[in-house]
Amino acid sequence: MNRFNHLPTLKIDTTQKISFIHKRKKIYGVKGDTIATALFSNGIRIFGRSLKYHRPRGLYSLDGESSNTLMEVDGIPNVRCENTLLKEGMVIKEQNVKGSAENDILGFLDKLDWMMPAGFYYTVMHKPAKLWPIAMKQIRKAAGLGEISPEFKMPGKFDEIFLNTDVCVIGGGPAGMMAAVSAAKKGLRVILMESRPWLGGCFEFRSKEHQNRLSLHERAAQLSKEVESLKNIRVFTHASVVGTYNNNLVTGFQIGKEKDAFDERYIELRAKSVVVATGCTERPLIFDNNERPGVMQAGCALRLAKTYGQLPGKKAVFSIGHDFGLETALELHDLGLSIACIADIRDDGQDPALLKKIADKNILLLKGWVAVKAHGRKVVKQVSLSTIDGSVTRKFSCDLLVASAGMTPVTGPITVAQGKLKYDNHTGFFLPDAMPEKMHAAGRIIGLDDPLSIEASGKLAGLKAAFDCENGSIQEIGQAKKDLENLPGPVRGTKLVTAPVKGRKSFICFDEDATLKNIKQAIAKGFDVPELIKRFTATGLGPGQGGIPGHNLPLYVAKYQALPDISIKPTNVRPPLVPTLISTYAGAGHQMLKITPMDEMQRKDGGVFRNIGVWQRARYFSNDFSCKNEIENVRTNVGMLDGSTLGKFRIFGPDAVKALQRVYVSDMSKVKEGRIKYSAMCTDDGCVIDDGVVVKQGENDFYFTTSTARAGQTAEWIRYHTRYDGWNFAIVNLTDAMGVINISGPNARKVLQKVLDIDLSNEAFGFSEYKEFKIQDTVPVKAMRLGFMGELSYELHVPSSYMKSVWLMIKEAGREFNIQNFGVEAQNVLRMEKCHIILGSESEQRTNLLDVGLGFLWDRNKPEAKTVGAVALRQAEKDQTRLKLVGFKMENNTRAPRDGSLIVDTKVRGYVCTARDSFSLKEAVGMALVEAPLSKIGTRLEIFEDECGNNRIYGMVTQMPFYDPDGKRMKM
Amino acid sequence: MFFKRKPMWGKKKKLKSSYDVVIIGGGLHSLATAYFLAKDHGITDVAVLEKNYIGFGGAGRNTAIVRANQRTQYNVPLYKEALDLWPILTKDLDYNLMFNNCGNLNLMHSEAAMTAARMTIATAQFHGVESHLIDAKQAKEMVPALNISEDITFPIHGAMFHPPGGVVRHDAVVWGLARGAAKRGVEIHQETEALGIGIQNGKVTSVTTSRGTINCKQVLISAGGYSASLIHGMLGIKLPISVLTIQAMVTQPVKPLLNHVVSSGAYHAYANQTLKGEIATGAHMDPWPNYTTLTTAHYIKHQAEALSEFLPCLRGLRFMRIWGGLADMTPDMAPIMDGNNQIEGFFMDCGWGYFGFKSCSAVGKYMSEFMAKNECPDILKPFALKRYEEHRLMGETAVVVNYTPDN
Repeated sequence: MNRFNHLPTLKIDTTQKISFIHKRKKIYGVKGDTIATALFSNGIRIFGRSLKYHRPRGLYSLDGESSNTLMEVDGIPNVRCENTLLKEGMVIKEQNVKGSAENDILGFLDKLDWMMPAGFYYTVMHKPAKLWPIAMKQIRKAAGLGEISPEFKMPGKFDEIFLNTDVCVIGGGPAGMMAAVSAAKKGLRVILMESRPWLGGCFEFRSKEHQNRLSLHERAAQLSKEVESLKNIRVFTHASVVGTYNNNLVTGFQIGKEKDAFDERYIELRAKSVVVATGCTERPLIFDNNERPGVMQAGCALRLAKTYGQLPGKKAVFSIGHDFGLETALELHDLGLSIACIADIRDDGQDPALLKKIADKNILLLKGWVAVKAHGRKVVKQVSLSTIDGSVTRKFSCDLLVASAGMTPVTGPITVAQGKLKYDNHTGFFLPDAMPEKMHAAGRIIGLDDPLSIEASGKLAGLKAAFDCENGSIQEIGQAKKDLENLPGPVRGTKLVTAPVKGRKSFICFDEDATLKNIKQAIAKGFDVPELIKRFTATGLGPGQGGIPGHNLPLYVAKYQALPDISIKPTNVRPPLVPTLISTYAGAGHQMLKITPMDEMQRKDGGVFRNIGVWQRARYFSNDFSCKNEIENVRTNVGMLDGSTLGKFRIFGPDAVKALQRVYVSDMSKVKEGRIKYSAMCTDDGCVIDDGVVVKQGENDFYFTTSTARAGQTAEWIRYHTRYDGWNFAIVNLTDAMGVINISGPNARKVLQKVLDIDLSNEAFGFSEYKEFKIQDTVPVKAMRLGFMGELSYELHVPSSYMKSVWLMIKEAGREFNIQNFGVEAQNVLRMEKCHIILGSESEQRTNLLDVGLGFLWDRNKPEAKTVGAVALRQAEKDQTRLKLVGFKMENNTRAPRDGSLIVDTKVRGYVCTARDSFSLKEAVGMALVEAPLSKIGTRLEIFEDECGNNRIYGMVTQMPFYDPDGKRMKM
Repeated sequence: MFFKRKPMWGKKKKLKSSYDVVIIGGGLHSLATAYFLAKDHGITDVAVLEKNYIGFGGAGRNTAIVRANQRTQYNVPLYKEALDLWPILTKDLDYNLMFNNCGNLNLMHSEAAMTAARMTIATAQFHGVESHLIDAKQAKEMVPALNISEDITFPIHGAMFHPPGGVVRHDAVVWGLARGAAKRGVEIHQETEALGIGIQNGKVTSVTTSRGTINCKQVLISAGGYSASLIHGMLGIKLPISVLTIQAMVTQPVKPLLNHVVSSGAYHAYANQTLKGEIATGAHMDPWPNYTTLTTAHYIKHQAEALSEFLPCLRGLRFMRIWGGLADMTPDMAPIMDGNNQIEGFFMDCGWGYFGFKSCSAVGKYMSEFMAKNECPDILKPFALKRYEEHRLMGETAVVVNYTPDN
């Protein structure tokens, strides 16, 4: 096709050809083409087939409101070809076709529509029951548009930016640009988002006069120049807004240009004020075969010529309802399109100047007429027009039918931000009624059509937005309002929704192949509100996000049921307003796990890492996941563990003790200097949620640890439970600031003594004692003698920045003893042999302090109303039906059951928390939570493992702990 | 041919001055209870009151997953029965509920999660419900789109595979139950708001509505996320329920890609493909109590980040629509079903969180029995409100749920 190359509005460069592959054939577009316009210029009219009936579908609008032009591009399904710029070498495939879009074997389905009334699948295919699984397979195959393979790897670079601004303007048309300029001139920071690759909106492609012989497109150029000259306006073109949220959070995405470092990027911005100037799209005209290729909207036809340099057809019929339709006809006529007839829905009210021009050019104009049917099996060949009442009909031959019922505002950004719309009888629009706070609408979206009014409304909205940012004056706004009021207001719109048709082939939703007949069927079945009809017929639920049925559905439903105007409510619109790639939303995809200061060194030492909660931790130090060597080394020699993930806190201030008293079950006033206090925290239900140690490091100054999992919540927990007390204390979370090295095993003292010059003898630093000292006069260390592993053990809390040095010193000192790393799993077994619990392993949500045998921690003399959980503990104390923690050994020295196995009789009586074949004890031992009657020593436990069938294994409740019951080893 | 010109759940009717039973809420639990009251117990003088239209709330907003692999022995039998009921209901209602028995695959991302899964699986197997622990390779064979490599945030260790589960078309259940109930004489009153419950001498006597007062002996509140506030507002009974907005979304439809429901605790995400071809996905909740049903910007992004990792081919698809519904969460993730306890004739069925859909069929059956016989069936007994007073949480989740610090 020869392309125009002389028009000032063109966005293509006809001298630069771009080749691409369509149906395995190499064809050409030009620079600036979208995929859709390139295909169209190659004479391709049928882009794909529809979802249900496999009807041919082609170019209809140019902004991707329907699924008509969704195609597979470079393996990515459902690409909106109208919005996607053509790139060299793209491979384009048709979707939902058996054969080709031109000749689709499944095209016969179109004739079977009588078999598929609205919701038919609910009433068939379930009898007999065996039929359904077979039918379902076929339905699944038939459903869905594009295809994607499970191995698909998304190419391209995806980025994300998070911005803050004073004013965000959505829409880069005349109103949006005026708003941006007037806000920017107040010195505010403005972000302007425009979904097309250029600014200009509805001015940009039109030759109509703006004023003083300036055309609209020249005016658009003027305005965009002004926008670009203002440094405090940041313009994002080819950037669609997809969501608007509370407090003016706006999300969207931008398509990268050639020079950009990204293909698409997610944009999230917070604005003090938002101006919505998204303009209008055309409201589809509904008649028989209203989606036949060759039928397109006025804007689409005009922009094909003016922006993309190609005539939309040779001979056209117009069926329109607005002056823009007449304007389009005239412009296209001047460019060489032959026009058989213009049917204008309106009887009167047309712009006299336009009427005169039409008469001058001898174009047949029928007022009060509308298209009722497009003829032609695959593409339009003829059109039947009729009077609005359907009484007189005429037929015209043509290859293009420009059809448009009227305009309709793009209100998505307002409604998803919870703004309310109201049907307006004058314009026939859903107009903004209650705008969200600090959001303003301007331009065609509020019903304006006159170019000067559109601009004036933009200026007004910009000033209002500036006022939201505490910039500007009421007087100024008043003046701008007056200026707007002196200009022409909203124009009368056409109310016609459908031509006089029965509606069997009149499509209200292209994406889901929903016809007017389907809507009537739904209403007859009792689905009488648009939201229910939407669900029953799927109207508006397709990939085009309801862009086509949009406002037509509620209008039609109201008309069909003869409802008054006031009851017409638009259906819900939901984000994303434009289908958005998952890869775009995902953005750069950062890893979010935390690592300890010892991460690198432990990896060097062969640590096998696992994600545990928010951390990455060395779980094993060999590929023997039973950890035999690690365990035996701790039991007989000495090992070191990175315990840095422990929650670590400082709490200080005159009321620190009171706060501790509140959340810990023990009497925290008894924390002695130099001694370690072990205690636990409960919920109001008495359920134990955390345990750890507390030490006193000064007057009203404490240091305490929590379990790894609770580190994030502890500060908030304490704050919450003391919120009414007005106590004077402060909490500092030191979890990341401090690291922890645990040295355990009979040789631990010898190793540590080499590093430290203080006396480490049992007399000087005994079990359960706490010391602070400095290593080599430099590194401050908090040292505790604990016995979690059941051996002589030191826990050193060291500032994170010194962790590597201290770690290396200990390693060096331990070399002669052959000190070894041990990981989290070895620790798990070591402590289990000692029956030291880990919350979450030996407890669950409903387990209270008493259930796990930690009742001794609870100080009953504390006033119980003041201790979180104490009331519940007292009430639950006598409950004999709770689960209790027990230790058990396996019968006949069989293997340990798998963790999570059940304790059963005829019912489930409990479950195995942790059980292992203990190397230290040479037998299988474990801990289980069982119903109280089963918790007596000597009770036989029947264990049900997953996949065990009828084979049970048996254990017996025994004394805890299993290893070193007198605790001599950890106190040595 | 298939086109009947009759409203499916009866024409709009005047509200009568009295009914035997009034059910507040027009969602799945209400409709199921009404249906079974009429069908199994011959109680047909029933009014279902719905403020909006039937299926407006959670019934139309859930992602329609059904399964019976819960954690405790109290829940498993109930959900098992619910699963078994789908084919029966399809037949009895003569309405295609589109049960897609595709099986659920619950991914495990740590050794601890594998242990937790083992217990859940053992519980299922002990109760005769099929459920198996499989390793990552087996999971990949079932779901070729899975990324089982080590280089993702939460590498996949294995999965809990639960073949009897799947997906049911939620709207069909609403409409089918409504039609079935209406056919048997139940009256469904849409756009009818219940405003209060009249009580005399500790007994329910009436319900005040936006269309007048009606007398009744029994009233059931099963209004999904709104139940707790209705029960408190009308009767002053405080329930340990936090209401949160839960969100779900779908991608554009594509040809068959996922043949199972895939879910992941660590990623807070599930994904399954609807019969229409959309990938439906959701799961995580923003942890602040609210009734807004508003979607949030960071959630859809979170979901994209999660899916990008464990189902990376989905990066090539587009999200099309996100919506929010209410989840009424109890501290132990198990519901509250109770009756004749606080007030004679007053029944409640709430606190389902995000399990309301998968349970509706069985609950309808047993709540109706409860109401008809005025005696609590054994299967419902563990769900009485008093368990909270006795500090006996159900243990449906392993860890403490924490929506608000006071929880």
